[in-house]
Amino acid sequence: MAEVKAVTPNNKEDMPEEIPGVMTTSSSAISDFLKKTKAQDLINWGRKNSLWFTVNAMGCCGVELLSTGMAHYDTDRFGIIPRNSPRHADVLIISGYVTKKYLPALQRIWDQMPAPKWVICFGDCAISGGPFYESYSTAQNIDEIFPVDVYVPGCPPRCEALIQAFVELQQKIAAKKDKGTEY
Amino acid sequence: MDAKTMIDSLSSQFTGTIYDVSVESDIRIIAKVKPENVKDICRYLKDKLSFGHLCCEFAVDYPNRNEIEVVYVIGSYDHPVVLTLKAILPRDNPEIESVVPVYWNANWYERETYELFGVKYLNHPDLRPLVLPREMLGEWPLRKDYKGFPNKTARNLV
Ligand code: SF4
Repeated sequence: MAEVKAVTPNNKEDMPEEIPGVMTTSSSAISDFLKKTKAQDLINWGRKNSLWFTVNAMGCCGVELLSTGMAHYDTDRFGIIPRNSPRHADVLIISGYVTKKYLPALQRIWDQMPAPKWVICFGDCAISGGPFYESYSTAQNIDEIFPVDVYVPGCPPRCEALIQAFVELQQKIAAKKDKGTEY
Repeated sequence: MDAKTMIDSLSSQFTGTIYDVSVESDIRIIAKVKPENVKDICRYLKDKLSFGHLCCEFAVDYPNRNEIEVVYVIGSYDHPVVLTLKAILPRDNPEIESVVPVYWNANWYERETYELFGVKYLNHPDLRPLVLPREMLGEWPLRKDYKGFPNKTARNLV
């Protein structure tokens, strides 16, 4: 596997200057301007109502994550749709323990997701280590690695808790208090 | 053939390399073996005594005795006897012959025991870490004196 760098906000300086047929810009003037206007409210309204999430079931919490996306809870009515490709997704749900071996892959998934993107910490393991808080094989303090917007405690939390987390994330986005938009 | 005749046959075949034999019941035997002979003993068990199924293989760390014990639990498809073999290795240089040529399913057991305890299996076909990341090789996390547990953790709990 290729080297995976630490997660950093999209670095404007890193953008390639010359792509044939494509106009690139290294400035975010347009989006900075939009943030000051009422148009951002409309954009956020659109964003908050289409929170597609990646299906990466990591621990036992992953089972709840999967069943949330199924027909019983029907999250599609909120615009919350499970996506199998990180490139289609807006929300990364850290659903369980992050082992040291899996962390690079998770960072890679996060890097592949197009901005704006959000993180939900789902389950005790992702928040504080949970039952594995002293394990030799898990990475701890995930909140220092990813910009987490919503924490869902529980071992595992119920599917309703995950839907609640999405609702809170929607409220955060509408209130422009979320961390993910900057990514 | 019951447990007693089996272990008699085994001890007469390998005199001196099998010791501390205890027949716990009709279906349980526990014995210690010399590490050098483990492969031959397994071969004999499989071919002659129809112990065809290696249930598991793992290690136990005894820092006080300065020993690592490799444990083989071997069962059979033809009779109900379960045999537990223990091979005692020195803790600073645990090396033992691989039993993969006899029991192919020992492959992953040995890889896991290697990455967690540092038991080196000689003539193993592919001795790589199995589930741990490569960087952790050499830390042997299941040894009792492992120190690498995270200490900067769960700030909201403690
Ligand atoms: S929080 Fe509990 S249910 Fe969720 S991954 Fe950890 S141990 Fe499993």
